[in-house]
Amino acid sequence: MAALCSAVGVSLGAVVRFLVPSVFYGPPQSFKIGNPGDFPYGPPTFLADEKIFVFRDRERGFAVASAVCTHLGCTVAYFQNDRDFHCPCHGSVFSPTGAVLHGPAPRPLNWFEITLTRDGQLRVDKDKTVPPTYRLMV
Amino acid sequence: MKWIREIWQSIVRRDPLSTDKGKSELVFLNVWLHIHPAKVKKENLRFKYSFYLGFITFFLFLILLTTGIALMCYYRPYPPAAYQDMKDLQFAVFMGSFLRNMHRWAAHAMVVCVFLHMCRVFYTGSYKKPRQFNWVVGVMLLLLTLGLSFTGYLLPWDQLAYWAITVGTNIGSYAPLVGGQLRELLLGGHAVGEAALLRFYVLHVAVLPSLVILLTIVHFWRVRKDGGLSRPIWKLKPQKTEALVTIGAPAAVAPLQVTAASKDKTYGLMEVVTGKPIFETVTPEEEKDTVFSYPYAFVREAVALMATVTSIMAISLFFNAPLEEMANPAVTPNPAKAPWYFLGLQELVSHSALLGGVVVPALMVVALILIPYIDRNPSRRPRERKWAIWLFTFFVVANIILIIVGTFFRGPGWAWVPPWVHVVARPE
Amino acid sequence: MERKLQQLFFALSLLALVLILVAEWQASTPSWKPYQRKFLQLEAQEEPNAVSKAAVLATPLAINQVVLPGLQRVDRCTTCHLGVEDPTMKNAPGPFHYHAGLGPHVPSKFGCTICHGGQGLATDMKDAHGNVAFWQTPLLPADYVRASCGRCHKEGDVPGVPELTEGRHLFETEGCHGCHKLNGVGGSIGPDLTEEGANHRSPEWLERHFLAPNAVSPGSAMPNFHFTREQARALTYYMLSLTSGDMGSYYSSERLIPSPEYGRQLFVEKDCIVCHAIGGVGAKVGPDLLGVTKRHSDEWLDEQLVNPELVYPGSSMPKYDLESNARKALVAFLASATPKDAQDILASKGHALTPEDAAIEAGKQDFARFGCAGCHGTELQGGVANPNAQGEQVPSLLHVSDDYTKEEVIGIIRDGRVSPMDNPKGSAPPLYMPSWKNVLSNEDINHIADFLWSKQQKKESW
Repeated sequence: MAALCSAVGVSLGAVVRFLVPSVFYGPPQSFKIGNPGDFPYGPPTFLADEKIFVFRDRERGFAVASAVCTHLGCTVAYFQNDRDFHCPCHGSVFSPTGAVLHGPAPRPLNWFEITLTRDGQLRVDKDKTVPPTYRLMV
Repeated sequence: MKWIREIWQSIVRRDPLSTDKGKSELVFLNVWLHIHPAKVKKENLRFKYSFYLGFITFFLFLILLTTGIALMCYYRPYPPAAYQDMKDLQFAVFMGSFLRNMHRWAAHAMVVCVFLHMCRVFYTGSYKKPRQFNWVVGVMLLLLTLGLSFTGYLLPWDQLAYWAITVGTNIGSYAPLVGGQLRELLLGGHAVGEAALLRFYVLHVAVLPSLVILLTIVHFWRVRKDGGLSRPIWKLKPQKTEALVTIGAPAAVAPLQVTAASKDKTYGLMEVVTGKPIFETVTPEEEKDTVFSYPYAFVREAVALMATVTSIMAISLFFNAPLEEMANPAVTPNPAKAPWYFLGLQELVSHSALLGGVVVPALMVVALILIPYIDRNPSRRPRERKWAIWLFTFFVVANIILIIVGTFFRGPGWAWVPPWVHVVARPE
Repeated sequence: MERKLQQLFFALSLLALVLILVAEWQASTPSWKPYQRKFLQLEAQEEPNAVSKAAVLATPLAINQVVLPGLQRVDRCTTCHLGVEDPTMKNAPGPFHYHAGLGPHVPSKFGCTICHGGQGLATDMKDAHGNVAFWQTPLLPADYVRASCGRCHKEGDVPGVPELTEGRHLFETEGCHGCHKLNGVGGSIGPDLTEEGANHRSPEWLERHFLAPNAVSPGSAMPNFHFTREQARALTYYMLSLTSGDMGSYYSSERLIPSPEYGRQLFVEKDCIVCHAIGGVGAKVGPDLLGVTKRHSDEWLDEQLVNPELVYPGSSMPKYDLESNARKALVAFLASATPKDAQDILASKGHALTPEDAAIEAGKQDFARFGCAGCHGTELQGGVANPNAQGEQVPSLLHVSDDYTKEEVIGIIRDGRVSPMDNPKGSAPPLYMPSWKNVLSNEDINHIADFLWSKQQKKESW
């Protein structure tokens, strides 16, 4: 009986592992965005293909926010006056830290890990979310 | 604890397997198993009679179904993605190469086993009355198996695939009147390309497997209804032979034996109503020669299943299915060879396109189908069928020789190059 | 017998289980995993403290791949070659060392196999390096890798690969076209070489062929040209570069290398001669550019092109929004520009330079940069719909001098204007002329007016 269960378990495990892809064909989740010098202070740089905002603060350094609304996935816009994010689809508004101010969004905006690579470039990893207070000092 | 019993009983409705009733109910109350008879004749269990080839072929088909569906998760049927996906399966998918190997070797094994099964059925004369039509269904299944193997051959989209199918479809185009059109229909164009790959894919994963499943159902059904597996009745004790009656038996034979109902046997109502026994009528003495399907038949089937599965797995672990360079219509390998089961055909074609490629194979297929209707000899006993056995053996051996010649003795330009002669490739 | 069969069944089932486990184990221990582990250990050694060391060592192992639709390939080389972009791995062992001199050719944009050959889809060393049956493009030997530059950079000199220029030159001067077709030109005695780079010949074979054709191709009609080793190598490089195969248009543009020729093109396109002179030939509005690359560093000049006001606040030089290679090309041109170049450029302009030209050019740049063209059209033709405005559309500016004086136009630009309505009772037209006095300086506005006036078409000329 035990042998049968283990056999079934092993086979199921193999099936599941087979179905989990080992390589992905979409755009990579972790990518370089350029040199720190390419990014100005003040209003964030919006990278359309990667759907992220790159913030650079004189005192505190770099931060990267997701531009994907947590409601149903539309791309949010950043407004410099109040420094908030507005989603055009259903009207969600996110605070400067990504918290939901109002609208149907269920969760705050994600902030992604940004690191400095050994060849001096900035790397963003969308698989690693960080708290809104995370900063990279360069 | 009664509720466990209750749930169990709601799913498994039969009596416990320790009872005869339970053993019978396991078979006829179970949707997966009820194609079996509740009891089988002991001789039908003998390995040396059938080598379980029919079951092995069926199990190979099941392996092909499961591995095939798994492979479909990672395969795109359009060039050049198809070739890239073959490489992905080899390098970037967990157990991808193992599954692909299993699929390829099971496919080759199934072609071989279908052929061996056909030989066994012939040599035991099991195509004779009342099993003629089942033989025909079997020939259809053989052709479908070859079709499945052929359509699957193109899918890797490498040089081997591309040119094998080019050669194969060109052989088919020699059929008179419809050959050219049939080839274009199959290829969806004038040459092997995107359209051909897609059509072959549809045939390979949807159309042909459905046909195989449908015909397999008929094939299994007819096995039961035609009286189960045949058996060497001439080996039975003489008085028993006369007592037996088969379907469609000529009226000249003694009228139906009426047998007192055994208190151990349950008779199906349909048997009483039609007035014709579906089984060869079994006398109480002969009852000793039958055993319950559970466990006697099922354990043998299970062993056959496991033996098939482990053999294919073992081969797949040690031998990789071939993958040559990507299909290149501009570069024809020399020689360009069809898949091995068509190499006999290609050898014939090299002698004469129409005769070798169309007439002879067509005649072979027609002859195969008509065997049960041409063969008027009602006996299944080998010594009474010498002609039939010799003819068929000749046909089998001729085919094998043709395939061997095509595989090992033909080199560039289809010239006669025995395998012990080393061909040096000239630089271009 | 039945008992034995049952035992056989269990034994076979066990065997099947074992075989599946073996297959799973094989699949879980591919040859690239130890390489990644080793690399993580190397990286961890560089980490300053135990926490970051542990973080590095805990990185999950995965196949790294770069998908390049433009080059029609997928490269997985960075699964093992992990230190390629890491300068600290200059002295790392095995596959981990740093790839110096990549420049813009980073793996994420170019992969690896486009230059080096090999089988990008593979994940074990032998298959990936391509020295296996049925893979026709194995790794190029180190001596020949630079030949791959020529597969994209087909025009001009390729920095760092003089062999390509030499090979091209030899091909022309030794008369190879006489027997071989290249790009449709040449004889038919020998094979067409247009796609020779795609024929998957080994570089060593090509080089031997150039040194002694008949030794390699017996019976060949190709004479022995008695090339030196260097010449044979140069020609081999050139042969290896001859393919139009896998390049998307992004990758094959000759403009990718900032060449002086391209810089000259830009100089003409942007009309720099209207403000600058070279050696006294040209305009005197901005500084003379002869020898400017000797007076200032390349970085300074580059910055100047990005932001002219940086060094000379109040400069009237417009911002040109050039991308970095274009700026490099301009600087490259300036390094070698002579008064003769300036004369040729002036001559091609067709009319003599006037001081107003500088102002008009500046106005033209402003007109484009500040979006005037968005409403008034790039050719000043107007035509953008403006419901309920007089004329129902944004007016053309080609005849503005018929109805307004230059001062009035300057006033309109400064203060803006609400569009006059067609139907006073209807809704206000959505488009209006905004006020620019807080955005543009007076000088800018004057330049724009100069530009508009230079484009005026008189009514009689309709």
